[in-house]
Amino acid sequence: MIDFGYGLTPSSTLKIEDVRLPAFGELLRREPDAAKCIACGSCAASCSAGVFTEMNLRRVILSLQRGREKETLPLLRHCMLCGKCQLVCPRGVNTRHLILSIGKVYQLEEDKR
Amino acid sequence: MKERILAAYDPFVLPFVFGMTFVLAYCLIALVKVLIQLNAADRRKFALSLITPTTIFKNIRDIFCDCLFHVKLWKRNKVLGYMHSSIAFGWFMIIVIGHIETILYIPERLHKMYYPIFFRYFMEEQNTTLQGSFFFFLMDFFLLVILSGIAIAIVKRFRSRIVGMRRTTKLTLTDRIGLYSLWAIFPLRWIAEGFTAGVAGGSFMTVPINWLLHNFMSKPENITVAWWLYSIALGTFLTVLPFTRYMHIPAEILLVPMRNAGLPVRHTRKGFSLAMLYSCPSCGVCIDACPMGVQKKNVKDATVYMVRNLKRRNRKRSLEIAEKCLMCGKCAALCQVQMDACGLRLAYRTSQERKQNRIPADFGYLNAVAPLPRTETEGKVLYYAGCMSSLTPVISRSVQQVLRHAGVEFELMDKDGSICCGRPLMLAGRQDEARALIEKNRKLIEESGARILLVSCAICYRIFKEHYDLIGVEVMHYTEYFNRLLQEGRLKVKNSHQTLVYHDPCDLGRGCGIYDAPRTALRAVGQLVPALKEREESICCGGSVGSLTLRYEDREPITRGALDNLTANNPEQIVTACPLCLKTFGRYATVPVADFAQILAENLDND
Amino acid sequence: MSQNVVVIGGGPAGIEASRKLRDLGYTPILIEKEPVLGGHLARWDRLFPDGVDASTFLDPMIADLDGIKYFTDTEVASINRLKDTWVVKLSNGLSAQVRAILLTTGFDLFKAEKKEEYGYGIYERVITNADLEAWFKSGAAPQFDDVKVIGFVHCVGSRDEKAGNRQCSKVCCVTAVKQACEIKEKFPDATVYCFYMDLRMFGRKYEDLYLKAQKEYGIRFVRGRVSEVSEDLDGHLFVKAEDTLFGKPMKLKADLLVLMSGMTPAASTQQLARMVNIQTGDDGFFLPKSLIVSPFTSSREGIFFAGAATGPKTLPETLSEASAAALAIDHYLKTLQR
Repeated sequence: MIDFGYGLTPSSTLKIEDVRLPAFGELLRREPDAAKCIACGSCAASCSAGVFTEMNLRRVILSLQRGREKETLPLLRHCMLCGKCQLVCPRGVNTRHLILSIGKVYQLEEDKR
Repeated sequence: MKERILAAYDPFVLPFVFGMTFVLAYCLIALVKVLIQLNAADRRKFALSLITPTTIFKNIRDIFCDCLFHVKLWKRNKVLGYMHSSIAFGWFMIIVIGHIETILYIPERLHKMYYPIFFRYFMEEQNTTLQGSFFFFLMDFFLLVILSGIAIAIVKRFRSRIVGMRRTTKLTLTDRIGLYSLWAIFPLRWIAEGFTAGVAGGSFMTVPINWLLHNFMSKPENITVAWWLYSIALGTFLTVLPFTRYMHIPAEILLVPMRNAGLPVRHTRKGFSLAMLYSCPSCGVCIDACPMGVQKKNVKDATVYMVRNLKRRNRKRSLEIAEKCLMCGKCAALCQVQMDACGLRLAYRTSQERKQNRIPADFGYLNAVAPLPRTETEGKVLYYAGCMSSLTPVISRSVQQVLRHAGVEFELMDKDGSICCGRPLMLAGRQDEARALIEKNRKLIEESGARILLVSCAICYRIFKEHYDLIGVEVMHYTEYFNRLLQEGRLKVKNSHQTLVYHDPCDLGRGCGIYDAPRTALRAVGQLVPALKEREESICCGGSVGSLTLRYEDREPITRGALDNLTANNPEQIVTACPLCLKTFGRYATVPVADFAQILAENLDND
Repeated sequence: MSQNVVVIGGGPAGIEASRKLRDLGYTPILIEKEPVLGGHLARWDRLFPDGVDASTFLDPMIADLDGIKYFTDTEVASINRLKDTWVVKLSNGLSAQVRAILLTTGFDLFKAEKKEEYGYGIYERVITNADLEAWFKSGAAPQFDDVKVIGFVHCVGSRDEKAGNRQCSKVCCVTAVKQACEIKEKFPDATVYCFYMDLRMFGRKYEDLYLKAQKEYGIRFVRGRVSEVSEDLDGHLFVKAEDTLFGKPMKLKADLLVLMSGMTPAASTQQLARMVNIQTGDDGFFLPKSLIVSPFTSSREGIFFAGAATGPKTLPETLSEASAAALAIDHYLKTLQR
């Protein structure tokens, strides 16, 4: 067999049926608005921290729902909680409380492990 | 005057003695607890203030005005003011006069704590003297004053609207016991003294009742019963006092000097905060004050319930209330004991954040933010629009238009993206993280050579004023600065004679005390009409970043309530001076909403 | 004498329904508050998906009003129930007693200045879809000559709870694509961007139009809602959005920005709903008995709907609903007579 230098590695595909989301459930309990996102990207576009960093709330919310929070949670460290995203969100998501709640819920999950 | 009961004792005094001893001991322990809980620096500050002459004077004045005369309440509501001061001052005077009588006639009994209280029982009057009648009159006079206050209190309990309160606090069981025993004390005293009015002397209150109820009063076996009941009422009141809202009576005497010493709130229920919690009289003024009260489900989120839950160590509810609050500060502004309601909530948020948030902030990227161009022109103005203003372009555009018109040289601080001022972080309880932003902004501003930092956002303005300590830079809100330009004649405007109503943004008005500058300036461009409630009583727009958990749909009724308040006098235009208020009102307003700078810019006199 | 039916609203729905009612033997009384009939359609230049001139539809419709009493510049003053009839009083002093009323009040365009962050009314180079159509229709020379980059902002006031309109306005996506192609014809050198949240190309040939816009006109589609617009000293715009498919925020310097204002309930909706005592949904549009089997029947006797009065609709949907409502009214009146 000729080796082309790449192959299908299992980790690169998103196995969505295997994703269990107890933490996301807890997040929804604390801040039900987490389920309202339509991924329009307004928050990421207007983000004060996004001017300087990779901070992107839309991506964070999506990654939580795909069980890949490890990839994006560190982005939240850059958030200044200024509230612009809350003001532009067309769905009226309480983004500041969502971010604060993510900080609590996801770390709690890690503590349990 | 001579002693009637030679033993100078009767068992009926026991309930009172027990109650009094208990309450004194409790207060002493509480005082020690509060003092121990203060940190060393605060304790020194407090001690120092107690020996500073100006503060001593202020303390005495405040204790008299706040605790006895209820001056603040008088200003707000004459009936409630009379009710409180009649009971407090009347009772105080009865105690004082009782002591004076004891000192005058039988000083050797002064060490018995019950003697001045039950003076009439133990003493008898042999012959009428002018001095004696004078005291009898005073005692009866103050008793009447108190009884009138109690009568109002009883009416208020059942019909609070009569005295101008929409909602009043729901009482706890101990509060009820305290309340009913307090109500009972003075009528019982009246009857008890009525019995002895014949022998011990009395005046226009006690003598007539002795005559009127002669059949009843002439039976000696009834005498002790009456005095027993009076003493039991006193004893009950004093014993339950520490567990009721009446704890505010002794606590306020401690709170006043602590407040005058300028101690900060550092904890949710320790030290200064504990003194504050004890001082809450549960009067419920904060219930009607709270803008969230437009929805019945939020009534229990008022400060009085926050205090109650903190006292009971109900963490879950305390946290809920602490996180929901808009931090508009209206309850604190109206509070009779000047409870730092926002400070307590902030302390709760901070402790929660420190405990729970484990995604630590990383603002390292701020180091890469380039410094602003440094210029040394005299009186350079640096304009910081803030994060929110980039979503309300009309504000920054109008500000620049006005500045250009006045010929002011200025530079924009954040046209390529703002570093947040830090207040939203602080309000979320992330004090330490906020400091990082403050330091970066402070450096940027100071190194730019600016003399004036112009801010068009009330939220930013407050933190710049309170936490930045900018050296050589004057922080000005655009309402202040434009008003100054107007007064100096550098800015020329024409009057449109449009009727305007001005909304006081929470952080600008109650937060920083700026009420007059915007109004003076607006009078130059239009006709200012009042809102129903304004200045320190203005109603939050509902958009506040202060609330962490309040949902979008629950903010709507608050906004509508605030709009109803503003449009009561049918203005043609609502004017506000904060981007968040502008955006929030814009959603539901039927009257056009404009920014302060926008109104000035529209009325510039270009001739 | 033939029976009268009052039709409130002289847009395409009202005109079409009136003509159908006339053909069925009734005398429709058509009321329009504006000076001319035709509603929004009268101000529109060309129609998706084929780019047909709107007047080729509207003009013959308006030319064929024999047997229809119509009043322009007229509003409804009051409506009262009298036994089994409705008494409609008009602002011109006339009144009519009828057994059936058809509400074809349509929609209002969302007021784009309410989305302050887009700067409509503040920045000169920010216009709306309606402004653009008016310009196309006028045939005037372009207002700006150095137009190199043009942006279209979808969903302005649509799917936006903050703006008070949660609903999708249905027609703006395809309108934006149509207008993007048209403006590309006017400014062949310009690059045109469409900022969309989701592209809803649900109708026949809409997808083809979308394909054509990409292939033939080179329109660039960016999935991301515009969050804010700022302006430099020369009046050029900076548009901020996130390219959500790429996952990065972007900033576009644009010379012209077109806001696709969505549909909101007509201002008269609430007032009329109160007059005849019928319900509106929480989106503010009239609520029919059923959204599936009788979208043109109200919960009250003799009150019918057609067109965008019950929610955003395309023109063909409106026209077919107008015919269906006319038939429903005919059926209702005949049942009454029996």
